[in-house]
Amino acid sequence: MTGRAKLFWRLMVRPIGREPVRMGLTILAVALGVAVVLAMDLAGTAATGSFRSSLETLTGHYNFEVTATGGVPEEIVGRIATSPINLAISPRMEDFAVVAATKKSVVLLGLDLVGEAEAIHLKSDDGASPSAPETENIATDFSADDSIWAGSSLGWQKGQHVSLIIGDRERTFTVRGTYDDQNQPAIVMDIAAAQRTVGRAEKVDRILIAIPESENLEAQTRQISALLPAGAEIRSAGTATDENRKMLAAFRWNLKLLSYIALIVAAFLIYNTISVSVVRRRAEIGIARALGASRSDVLLAFTGEAAVLGVAGAAIGVPIGRVMATGAVRLMGATVNALYVSSRPGPIELGANSIITALVVGIGVAILAAYAPAREASQIAPIEAMARGRREFLMRVHSLRDLTLAAIFGAAAWAAAKAPAVGGKPLFGYLATLLAIVAGTLAIPSVVHAAMKLFGATLQRTSVAALLASRSLLGSLRRTSVLVGALATAIAMMTAVGIMVGSFRTTVIQWMEGEVPADFYLRPAGNSSADRHPTISAELADKLATLPGVEAVDRLRAYQVSFDGVPTTVAAADLRESRKRGHSDFFSGRPAEEVLNELRSGDAVVVSEPFTYKHKLKRNDFISLRLGTSLASFRIADVYYDYGSERGFILMDRSAMKKYLPGDAPSNLAVYVANGADPAAIRKEIELAAANYRVLIFSNADLRKQAIVVFDKTFAITYALEAIAVFVAVMGVAGALLALVIDRKRELGLLRFLGASRAQIRRMILAEAALLGLVANAAGLLLGFALSLILVFVVNKQSFGWTIRFHWPVAILAGALSLIFVATVLAGFYPARIAVRLNPVEVVHEE
Amino acid sequence: MRNRAFCAALLLAIFPVLDAPYRVAAPGYRYEFPRDFFAHPEFQTEWWYTTGNVKTADGRAFGFELTFFREAVNRDASKQGAWDLRDIYLAHLALSDLDGGHFYHSERVNRSGPGIAGVDSAGGKVWNGNWSAVWKKDGSQELTARSGDFEFDFTLKSEKMPVVHGENGVSQKADGAGRASHYFSQTRLATNGTISVQGKQFRISGLSWMDHEFFTHQLSADQTGWDWFSIQLEDKTELMLFILRRQDGSIDPHSAGTYVDAAGKATHLRANEFSLTPTSASWKSVQTGATYPIAWNVVVPKLMITLSATTRLPQQELAATSKFAPGYWEGAMQFSGKHCSADILGVGYLEMTGYDHPLRWTK
Repeated sequence: MTGRAKLFWRLMVRPIGREPVRMGLTILAVALGVAVVLAMDLAGTAATGSFRSSLETLTGHYNFEVTATGGVPEEIVGRIATSPINLAISPRMEDFAVVAATKKSVVLLGLDLVGEAEAIHLKSDDGASPSAPETENIATDFSADDSIWAGSSLGWQKGQHVSLIIGDRERTFTVRGTYDDQNQPAIVMDIAAAQRTVGRAEKVDRILIAIPESENLEAQTRQISALLPAGAEIRSAGTATDENRKMLAAFRWNLKLLSYIALIVAAFLIYNTISVSVVRRRAEIGIARALGASRSDVLLAFTGEAAVLGVAGAAIGVPIGRVMATGAVRLMGATVNALYVSSRPGPIELGANSIITALVVGIGVAILAAYAPAREASQIAPIEAMARGRREFLMRVHSLRDLTLAAIFGAAAWAAAKAPAVGGKPLFGYLATLLAIVAGTLAIPSVVHAAMKLFGATLQRTSVAALLASRSLLGSLRRTSVLVGALATAIAMMTAVGIMVGSFRTTVIQWMEGEVPADFYLRPAGNSSADRHPTISAELADKLATLPGVEAVDRLRAYQVSFDGVPTTVAAADLRESRKRGHSDFFSGRPAEEVLNELRSGDAVVVSEPFTYKHKLKRNDFISLRLGTSLASFRIADVYYDYGSERGFILMDRSAMKKYLPGDAPSNLAVYVANGADPAAIRKEIELAAANYRVLIFSNADLRKQAIVVFDKTFAITYALEAIAVFVAVMGVAGALLALVIDRKRELGLLRFLGASRAQIRRMILAEAALLGLVANAAGLLLGFALSLILVFVVNKQSFGWTIRFHWPVAILAGALSLIFVATVLAGFYPARIAVRLNPVEVVHEE
Repeated sequence: MRNRAFCAALLLAIFPVLDAPYRVAAPGYRYEFPRDFFAHPEFQTEWWYTTGNVKTADGRAFGFELTFFREAVNRDASKQGAWDLRDIYLAHLALSDLDGGHFYHSERVNRSGPGIAGVDSAGGKVWNGNWSAVWKKDGSQELTARSGDFEFDFTLKSEKMPVVHGENGVSQKADGAGRASHYFSQTRLATNGTISVQGKQFRISGLSWMDHEFFTHQLSADQTGWDWFSIQLEDKTELMLFILRRQDGSIDPHSAGTYVDAAGKATHLRANEFSLTPTSASWKSVQTGATYPIAWNVVVPKLMITLSATTRLPQQELAATSKFAPGYWEGAMQFSGKHCSADILGVGYLEMTGYDHPLRWTK
């Protein structure tokens, strides 16, 4: 060990062990910060980054695909197969089946098991793919409509009978064989049976095409394109997956950034810890410098100390992060399914990369946070440091300088908030958030100063303990303000996100008032997902319409499309019914009836706000849609507020859709009860009529409740991130108070010596904690309000395209802030106990 | 490589269906052309088998095989969707680059589906994906196929009328009614067109031979394989000869052949009227382990024909990847010898089955 290293060990590392609680808290804070970042990174990768549509299973070596809204006419398969191009094709039916026993959705694939035999087998060439379904008597099995082949991960046995809900029908199927599905469960049927089962006669959902890379791909795809009707297109295989992945990127980004809050809070704590360290070792610094240590040695020593904390924190943080990731994946997966696209999260992979990133982030943040106090320490003149009699080293507070900087950063934040999105990501929005936090942090010492003065003046008249508390905090303003800064930042982020989510929630609830007018809603059983539109039998809709007491039944039929490379939903509804009752909110402000009249002409659509935002479109622009075999053009008659789907929504009259896609089966039904009829009785009738169909019936209230449940589930992860950040901050308060107590041993001893009671000392420490909490709450609330404006009007709008109306979620905020306040006071109890335990005689003796 | 195991599983599963409502080949069948060029869905199995020897102007020689199989699976009248499985269509494609020393082959299996494979009598077409044989109004035939390794486009013009094999319209393969096929050939098809292989295109001409056979369950259990020859001699005569080998190593008496004279007149040859004898030259397949005799002596005493058959390319095996799937050898041959004491040369094809393991067409 070199002398320098020995010195570092003795002076810097060893003292860490002397205050296990305080150092433990700091390390834990870093650990939690690192853990959250790592967890969100791992979970994000598993749930969205490695996103693969569940339909992308058994897709083999195919590099192109032909798709059309509502399915590709099957004769196209023959046309492509016989074209003079060196290719292989795989026509597929693609849907989902709900396993009746478990209510789980599983991909249902209809494959040409005769022609596909090669493709399924071929996949085993690369060593990691399914083998051909094993089968015995193909002649009979293929021809039977109840034959299925099951992925091995479903755990079904050959010969087993399985009840599946497909669309709104439940049927029993026989497992004819299984295949190794590499943990991508799917149910395979022969394409003939699948076509009948999903009720899409003469259509296939997708044609996968393999063209050898050695061919002229562009010329070949152009040749294939010429064989297709206008409504069908050829594109790279897995395009939908790529588009979805892109769409999920924004979602993942936002969560990733939220995950850094805890780390930012931890940075404040590191700053505080190192500051304390510098103050304590003032004399030692002086001695070391006098003995020849250079300024950079001192700088290195303190950043080294921070690095040790960072390493320890990161080392503990990595396993915690791995555990957290498991929970995070579940939450994220649920959100992705509800809002975006049906998928299943991939495995969580804790690779060397993630670990290195976590370490770099943890240690980097620690060193960065420590730099300022370390530099300050390095600049202390040895003589000044060694001079006796100056017990407290007061770091200078440059009020004016800091406030000016705060103003500059604030202005920069304002400017950044005005900037547009960059590539669909609100980069400047995030920058604005960061700048606002910096501005807030810079302003906090002055705020604390002012607050303490103010409190001090008032407290003077109430209690000595309180007065002493405020004075003591003022005395160590720099350190105190860092603490307040940490807590305030955490509170601000929590407040901001709380306001954003609360505003969003209220906006959605109010929006549903107008958007959900019917008495009952029906959809096929099974989990719903934003990109899946299973259908209800048309005859059920007809049947419901004839029930006595039912005034009208609206049908909505939705299709998944790709518009300009972005996944979008195109839907058709009986606009004449549903829109008459609700007061729809159109951007133009025109009455709903007027807009709907335009839709009835058949060449106009209304689109949702996120759709126009994403595609930079406005009212009266024209859009082209691939529908059935046609490429049809529509005018945007108006734009409506929509919070139901981030994917974007295009809505047209049902008669318009029927021209292109004549299918009659609706995805959803809305039932209106006649005036004077008893809804409860009607519900019974609907249930009776739908007894043989696997549909879910929601009353108006049910539907709204359901929507809010989904909403809350979506934001559960956000709340969790907030809670961790606040927890880290409160922990920091406890640690810092402890430091204050230890540094003021002498002072506290003197107070006791002079006759202060144990209770008074305890009160004083608790009052300090309370004051910290109060100031932090106030500053946090203020900063949080500013941040929430950025989140609501910049980040959210730019990420998702939603217009959220601002609401104060008063109850939630009041509750959370009180909780934090109580937690801060409680955090004072341990330091208070330490302070009370001090033996006055001993402390004074030491002097 | 196609999943041949899967194809074989199909075949094995299908063949035992004896009580299926299929017609068997019976004596007295009246041929009618062009009707009989196309599908006979009332029979279970049907194939169109074209082989040929072609050359470029500067003498580079190729052999080719393009075969379409139809195997009936289901005749349930209630299933009329495009995808419903009624027949399985298999096809084999091979190119023998006799000078380059390469043998390329691939195969496909499909259902008819919405136009993927099938037989269209009205349109005069037999196809499987983009491999097709199309009969033109002028009586010529266009043969087109492409695989990853090569592609070809040929025009075939028949110089003779189709020849019906066997006696009374049936080619008997074993004892018992129905153990037979309807079998006819176009034995001399003048062939012109192009072959592209390894990025190079060759203009070629030569001679092809087309077999068309349809039947329901023709072989018997003790027949383990066959050796089949098509021979096109320079003097415009042709021979088709096959021997059926039995489990005990003997030659089945139902082995037979046909001689076609220069005018196109056919003469049926019984098993005792010719001999096919392998010489010591053989080729062992690394892939299947089968040993194929690749040089033969052909003798038809009553026609005064004595030929020796050799090949320039020993590896012309369409190998199977599973022990259940039949691998077979089908290759371009050359013949030399005597016909009526005059020296003569010829070209043709040899097919050998059941050498890797006994054929299991029957249970």
